[in-house]
Amino acid sequence: MRTKFLIRSSVATVLLIAIATSCTKLDQKVYSVVPESEFWQTPAQIAAGLAPAYQALTNITDADVRDLNEVSGGGILVPTRGNDWYDNGNWQALWTHQWKPDLGPIDGAWSAIFNGIGKVNFTLNAVNALSSKPSNIDAINAELKVLRAYYYFLAMDMFGQIPVVTDFNTDPAAVNNSQSRSETYNFIVNEITSNIGALPDKTGETYGRMTKWGANALLAKLYLNAGVYTGTPNWEAAIAACDNVINSGKYSLSGDYLSNFAVSNEGSPENIFVVPFDKINIGGNNWEMRTLHYQSQLTYNLNGGPWNGYCVTADFYNQYDNSDNRKQMFAVGQQFGSDGTALKDAQTGLPLVFSKYVNELSNPTDTFRLAGARNVKYHPEAGTSGGQSNDMVVFRLADIYLMRAEAKLWSSTDLGGALADVNMVRGRAGVSAWSAGDLNKENLYHERQRELAWEGWGRNDAIRFSHFGDARTPGKPADADKHLELFPIPSPEISANGNLKQNPGY
Amino acid sequence: MTPKRLLHAILLPVLLLFAVQVSFAQQKTITGRVTDSRDGSPVSGATVTAKGSKVATSTAADGSYKITVPSATSTLVITGVGFATTQIAAVDNAVVSFVSTAASLNEIVVTGYGTSRKKDVTGAVASVSAKDFNQGIVTNAIEQIQGKVSGLVITTPGGDPNQSPLIKLRGQTSLLGSQAPLIVVDGIPLDNADQFNNIPPGDIATYDVLKDASAAAIYGARGANGVILVTTKRGREGQTRVEYSGYVTVSHQAKYFEMLSADEWRNALKTLNIPAGSLDKGVNTDWQKEITRTAFSHNHNLAVSGGAKGFSYRAAVSYLNQQGIVLNTGKDQIGLRFNATQKALNDKLELQVGIVSTTTNRSLLNYGNITKIFNTPPTYPVRNADGSYFYFSDFEQYNAVAHLNQELNKGKEYLSLLSGTANYEIIKGLKVGVTGSLNHLGNQTRFFQPAFPVEGNVNNASNNTYNNDSKHGDFHINYLKDFGKHSLGLTGVYEYNKFESNFQGISSQNFLVPENQDNNFQGAIDAARTRANTYRDEFTLISFLGRVNYNYNQKYYLTASIRRDGSSKFGANNRWGLFPSFDVAWRISQEAFLKDATWLTELKLRAGYGVTGNSDAIGPYSTQLLYGPIGRYYDAASGVYPQAYAPVQNQNPDLRWEERHGRNIGLDFGLFNNRITGDINYFSDKTVNLLYNYTVPVPPFFINTILANVGTLTNKGLEFQVNAQVVKQKNFSWTLSGQLTFINTKVDALSGTYQGFNVRTDQIGGSSAVGRGLSAYPITFLKPGYAPSVFYLPHYMGLDANGHQLFETANGPKTQDQDPNPTKKYIDPSPKMLYGVNNNFTYGNWSLNFFLRGLVGQKIFNNTRLDFDNVNRLPGNNVTRSALTNGIKDAAAVSDLWLEKASYLRLDNATLAYNFGQLKGMQNLRVYVSGNNLFVITPYKGIDPEIQTSNTGSSQAYLDVSYYGSAFYPRARSFTFGVNVTF
Repeated sequence: MRTKFLIRSSVATVLLIAIATSCTKLDQKVYSVVPESEFWQTPAQIAAGLAPAYQALTNITDADVRDLNEVSGGGILVPTRGNDWYDNGNWQALWTHQWKPDLGPIDGAWSAIFNGIGKVNFTLNAVNALSSKPSNIDAINAELKVLRAYYYFLAMDMFGQIPVVTDFNTDPAAVNNSQSRSETYNFIVNEITSNIGALPDKTGETYGRMTKWGANALLAKLYLNAGVYTGTPNWEAAIAACDNVINSGKYSLSGDYLSNFAVSNEGSPENIFVVPFDKINIGGNNWEMRTLHYQSQLTYNLNGGPWNGYCVTADFYNQYDNSDNRKQMFAVGQQFGSDGTALKDAQTGLPLVFSKYVNELSNPTDTFRLAGARNVKYHPEAGTSGGQSNDMVVFRLADIYLMRAEAKLWSSTDLGGALADVNMVRGRAGVSAWSAGDLNKENLYHERQRELAWEGWGRNDAIRFSHFGDARTPGKPADADKHLELFPIPSPEISANGNLKQNPGY
Repeated sequence: MTPKRLLHAILLPVLLLFAVQVSFAQQKTITGRVTDSRDGSPVSGATVTAKGSKVATSTAADGSYKITVPSATSTLVITGVGFATTQIAAVDNAVVSFVSTAASLNEIVVTGYGTSRKKDVTGAVASVSAKDFNQGIVTNAIEQIQGKVSGLVITTPGGDPNQSPLIKLRGQTSLLGSQAPLIVVDGIPLDNADQFNNIPPGDIATYDVLKDASAAAIYGARGANGVILVTTKRGREGQTRVEYSGYVTVSHQAKYFEMLSADEWRNALKTLNIPAGSLDKGVNTDWQKEITRTAFSHNHNLAVSGGAKGFSYRAAVSYLNQQGIVLNTGKDQIGLRFNATQKALNDKLELQVGIVSTTTNRSLLNYGNITKIFNTPPTYPVRNADGSYFYFSDFEQYNAVAHLNQELNKGKEYLSLLSGTANYEIIKGLKVGVTGSLNHLGNQTRFFQPAFPVEGNVNNASNNTYNNDSKHGDFHINYLKDFGKHSLGLTGVYEYNKFESNFQGISSQNFLVPENQDNNFQGAIDAARTRANTYRDEFTLISFLGRVNYNYNQKYYLTASIRRDGSSKFGANNRWGLFPSFDVAWRISQEAFLKDATWLTELKLRAGYGVTGNSDAIGPYSTQLLYGPIGRYYDAASGVYPQAYAPVQNQNPDLRWEERHGRNIGLDFGLFNNRITGDINYFSDKTVNLLYNYTVPVPPFFINTILANVGTLTNKGLEFQVNAQVVKQKNFSWTLSGQLTFINTKVDALSGTYQGFNVRTDQIGGSSAVGRGLSAYPITFLKPGYAPSVFYLPHYMGLDANGHQLFETANGPKTQDQDPNPTKKYIDPSPKMLYGVNNNFTYGNWSLNFFLRGLVGQKIFNNTRLDFDNVNRLPGNNVTRSALTNGIKDAAAVSDLWLEKASYLRLDNATLAYNFGQLKGMQNLRVYVSGNNLFVITPYKGIDPEIQTSNTGSSQAYLDVSYYGSAFYPRARSFTFGVNVTF
């Protein structure tokens, strides 16, 4: 018995040990994802690996960054219509300049921008760590760094003192925003000027990518606002950067203003830097949904009803002459179905007539659902319900002309050239040319508003022309001081990184 | 392991029966019958032992027994799972009224990798057997024990036949991972608790709930949410039994929201001086009733069991057809279950096999369709005069009936569990064995939505296939030995688990021939709209565990266990975890100084400490930097839209399981010969290394969250469970049982370090109010110092002269237009106490059972009323009746006005049964009528106060929403007629 027991238990023990030693390997295969070491193998994979740095732009052009700049700058108005669009008071706070550091869209904007920066840093690190680097590694580095400069420009413009991190492997505990806004400005300018030489020229392959000319346009924006960012203007450099774009001969004003924003606008000769969208492949352009009324679905043959939100004030709308063909970007008056029938608001039975008047920020009456001119600059795309195909414009030639004119006006140099630049833009809009007496800062500000409505420059321009703190109708009193010209560092970011210092006044 | 031990428990009496075949010189034969004290139904499988000898038998299907005992025998001892041990005089033709008690101290308790008698259990373990299950229609088998076990909170978040109940044991333990306990069916762990949806309720014999961390620690990194061990019914040697049980159920919606009827709507418009215009189509439609129906369900369960010497089996087939009360929803489920045991080599070798195969066809609800009924005016018809649908379209508005009837939304699930065990007894008390099992869950979903006139949508379809496969193998060794008064049990197990899952999905739109529905994706007009998505992943879990059970003279107990788990999901720096437990127990009632306290039958004091883990929040590859497709970009060079690739997460090589450190003190008692039994437990648990996607700064991180082990939370609670036989007479008995749970969960910290970096989060947003103008901003938070999902709300202070809502601000009451920054307060919505009370009366062959369940102190944010109690919605949207009287004239605004008290008391079930006993051609017949959800008493103003209390899928904790696709599937009131027959 005892022997038998010993034998049997020995067998069991051996078995147990055998299992214990041979079966402790925690094997795991990956199938639908790959480790970094197995990626970056082919040119197509490298292209796909670089793309996320650009992809982050799709969260900027029709999202919080644009909204913060346009609503606070007086371009877009989002009134509370009955029970709709109150949204925690966010829209009213942005319009009336009553925002606080915990306002959701402010953190949304910060996150969208720094997401782009994070993607660039990660990609730079990965592609430069490859054992066999791509042959065009210098061009890749230059393109990524200038793209990052655009993200940093947005962050510095909106938030002032920001954390600047260029190395993916930076110790997170060392990240702070102690660097001054002008130092960051210099860093951004230097990033562009030292890499611009390695950037591609405009070719059929560079659509949607950062080129020499996109970089010059970005430089022009930076120099134009140098006074705001550093206290010291640099109009000459702004003019030079604009000259570089214009004199390249690569771009021309398109004859039809709205064609730059059409559903198929990739043929625009005017657009310098765009963010491509596509109804099937790249979502994120929901312009039609944000502004149009539910029943506008029937006007534009959309697949679903829009959200009845964004509009412009009567003051903004009234800036346009009736002959101004840019005024066609607005939908006002009776709306018709695609079959020609006059539409009604299905929930109230009122005729679907968009009024240009928006007299309050908030009103529960049924007529207020129809208040405000709607902006269909990016023309709605039939067969979509959001996710339209119009590529969204970051930089275009008309902006460059107006920037050059402005820099010349501010610096009082070549005012004749300035007038000619403005009149090129006005001429294309079908409005009368200015005489020399018309060329003043106030008029130029309004010309920029008319030309660049809702393109994201509303706040940037208003600050430069000292209009940001103005009282506006409806409901916005004048700002008490200038601290609102910078958005606060979002409270979730300060919570996540205790090294971040809040902007003054918040 | 578990089935083996259980089988032993069942086989033992049978073996003893054979032993009795040996003739004794002086014998007598005694017959009798054992019946359930509650309803007089026969109790089969009870063990009848001659006291003072080893002679024993078990009762037959009709409860009868026949035992030949030494003539000196004066007393028979009757024992059975789920019943209090009863002693009777050894006289012929006795009818034994057997008293059921869930807390009976001699019942066999499954403890995970083994069994134990209740009196020998040292941890907090609760057992519920079939006799005590909730009756009537159950959607998911786990509802059989809803409200029955203290500390176990099972919430059915609505009346959807395809919804999974939410199961929480001893509070919330994880912020991100599943709250559901690990469910182990006959020793085979299910990959996730939702798979339990596919286990037919009729097959289940007992549930053993391992509540405290020391009991669950044997399940290591999977045990932090507690463990529920499910044992299914098995056959017995020598008896061939055929059992049939079936029921039919009629269900209808229990309660409706008080929306305006068409006439009330017309009057309201007149009063408010709003022209109805084209909105009044001249009809009266109650949209809530239009989308629901009286639903019929039926269930059948047929089982054959039996066996010959050394062999036993049970085979069961079950069919359930359950209609949902919402149109075009429901399920049918066909289940097959077979298990068998064969002994060989002088009974030293034992082989067991188990097969479960269940197919479930689901007709699923698109919840967005429910939300439309509250928006649509009651003056819109469902159909035109010619019978065709009346179509309309506006923001969150369309004909919900047309959608429900014409959309295809189906799921088909296949669950199969195959298992086999071989055990060999090397010497007496020492057994070694291996167990293997294969677990497969396949789920195919189909969707098709046609193009609806007026709505402008295009037809679209999708097909998705999910496969989850896992394989488990273990090698186990058990040793049981008594040395005089010392009793020792040793268990050692090596376990290997591999989990694989894959997914294939295809979707498209705008089909040329919509009649083909989802069956012809190549028929899409634009091929570019057809999209395929797939993924595949796997992970491995390897465990070693050991346990020592020791007791001295059945008086002093000590249990210690240790488990070492390694998982490929864990970070490279933390691959292996150690999960110890330690328990002591003292059966005070065995002490000499209590010998004279005859009223005290049993008294046991227990204390335990254990460590368990939860790694549910960690995906198979969460720790690694892996590239995957993240969406398309435009490549101008080629003019195409390739996929961009990037890692989707920050890598965290330190990632590890969440760790729950649990302490439990408990007292088990039995009074007056176990007429009153029960237990009390106090626990204090702390979960550390809490996983969450904590916010980190970008850059240097490239994504602004990282999954990291940072936070801590605590759960403290007190649990009472009692079972009392209040009246025990020959023809009449009353048994009262109940449970009471007090629980307090608190988030302690959300900050810590990740690789030296301070991860800091002062609060994390959770649920957001839903509705027009209420775009996502959170109103519940994870906040240190508060319960999870604590509300943070402005305080409502009444209305101003214009009917505008006033809120507390630093400058007194203000409207939201006057001050968009009102003062906010934290309010804890979690229930403070939960309870269940069961009453059972028997009178002759009649029995009446009713079960009440409820909770106290809960608050629910009535987002549905927030949206619909607003007169501004008129005329284009319908409103509630109270919208006309509440005086609110401005826009819907979030405040504590809508955070309502939601304590409730529900008559969950009442069952009246008559037991015919033995009839011609059948051994037993029982018929019953049963009602479910008969009433609810609550101050809550929504339609039901029992909703989801965790964020799951699109559902949000403590938020009752019927908007933007979030909806409450109305709960049904059901009446069931059922039959149980044994042939």
